[in-house]
Amino acid sequence: MSNLKVNIAGVEFKNPIITASGTFGFGKEYGEFYPLSALGGICTKGLTLKKREGNPPPRVAETYGGMLNSVGLQNPGIEHYLAEDDKRLAKEDVVVIANIAGSTLDDYIAIGERINDSNADMVELNISCPNVKQGGMAFGVLPKNVEEVTRAVKNVCRKPVITKLSPNVSCIADNARAAEAGGADAVSLINTLSGMAVNYKTRRPVLANNNGGLSGPCVKPVALKMVWECFNAVKIPIIGLGGITKYTDVLEFMICGARAVQVGTANFTDPTAAYDIARDLEKYVEENGMDINDLVGTLILN
Amino acid sequence: MKDRIATVVKNVPVADGIWSMTIAFDDIEEIKGAQFLDIKLPDPSKVLRRPFCICDFDKENKTADVCYAVVGEGTKVLSGVKAGEKLNVLLPLGNGYVPKGNKIMLIGGGMGTAVLPAVVTANPGKEFHAFIGFANKGKVVLEKELGEKCASVTVATDDGSYGKKGFVTTVAREAADVLKPDEILVCGPEVMYKAIRKCFDGSGIPVYVSLEQRMGCGIGACLVCNCKVKRADGEGYVRVCKDGPVFLLDEVVL
Repeated sequence: MSNLKVNIAGVEFKNPIITASGTFGFGKEYGEFYPLSALGGICTKGLTLKKREGNPPPRVAETYGGMLNSVGLQNPGIEHYLAEDDKRLAKEDVVVIANIAGSTLDDYIAIGERINDSNADMVELNISCPNVKQGGMAFGVLPKNVEEVTRAVKNVCRKPVITKLSPNVSCIADNARAAEAGGADAVSLINTLSGMAVNYKTRRPVLANNNGGLSGPCVKPVALKMVWECFNAVKIPIIGLGGITKYTDVLEFMICGARAVQVGTANFTDPTAAYDIARDLEKYVEENGMDINDLVGTLILN
Repeated sequence: MKDRIATVVKNVPVADGIWSMTIAFDDIEEIKGAQFLDIKLPDPSKVLRRPFCICDFDKENKTADVCYAVVGEGTKVLSGVKAGEKLNVLLPLGNGYVPKGNKIMLIGGGMGTAVLPAVVTANPGKEFHAFIGFANKGKVVLEKELGEKCASVTVATDDGSYGKKGFVTTVAREAADVLKPDEILVCGPEVMYKAIRKCFDGSGIPVYVSLEQRMGCGIGACLVCNCKVKRADGEGYVRVCKDGPVFLLDEVVL
């Protein structure tokens, strides 16, 4: 009997495909291409207590096999989400993960508490956005901060909490352990890698913000290694992401220890990417009569 | 809005560094002027689609035209696509431009001119006067196409090597006093919008602009292509791909 269902912290996903925060808005636009119920889950755009305007444009630069973004957490704020998007998403037969962010510890506590009033199934803690000047990265770098912010949110939030980890750190496994020690129900990784694109004619960075977060197929090897490192460091489930464009990428991430995956940049290349990957994965699992969970962490080192 | 496989019918150079491509679809829905399409490049190292305005379209033959300058790696790849090859294309995207008036002045600067023919095709029965400006004679495109559709076409070049000498904004401003258009649509570089704002300030004629910005998803989800506008509720970012690309010039923060 084949099986594509996965379970993360008590929440069942009909398949391990989740769309990554920041690439999928609140599901409305992509919902015009396919039913969101075809996916395991969706991660919302990062939400903050108050509306954020984000960084000045240009906010995107294509790089070889990837792209840099510097959106800077533009979002309408948690109250707007609760009033406009929460109920619509609750009607969809898909796991909804609310991605939340803050600039200070108090921000995280306040939004972690406010999100209890939403219909979201889970919360993803964005402590690693490289495009926000204060907070953001600061919380995601040092293990003690990762532990502190995770614990603070866990203390007030009644929903399962996923801590999203930054790859721009000295040892991501230490940060996964810190998230686990802080009470995280799961970790997701990797967020974007800090980078820069330069125009040789103007001698200026392409992005108005100068730096941005690198994503897309070019980061996949980095992400796979980090997922494997974290798999060997913690007992809580791992959601893997970074450069997934096809179902074989999903298999690779799961073999390295991911229990589910997120699809991000691929949504831009093909608006139906996440849908296509889920269907292809389903076909593969059926053809092989396998339980997808049996793949998790089965990497055989040379 | 749909993601579909289309066939390239034609892809040829038409001026100095400028190409024209015709794409055929199995079906094509209602297209408004100044809407755009988003092409997936046949090169896996390019993860972002390339948005282009729909230069013109033919409902009967189910084709859309794209007129583009080869300026970077993406357009270089696109210029290498041969007739008969397939492309993955998303269209029609964006709000588009639906004129309310009957006598419309169209102003195009450089490749911004590529927005104009579809506006005329999508609005039969209205009177269009096109003013198109280019750096020099070698860059002039779409004069003939616009000539077949519009009541008049005036070409200006910065160096005077073709048509009237000078900036198209100046030429259009002078003509507006005689033509007295109900509305104006402008597409060109940002510097041109600043000039237009200056010379049409106080004219009472509504001026619309079609903006350009580097895009991610092209459908309104990723928030990378934003531009700043000033509205009753204050200044803020809006999405060029979904809320635009057409905005009232008065509300755009330049």
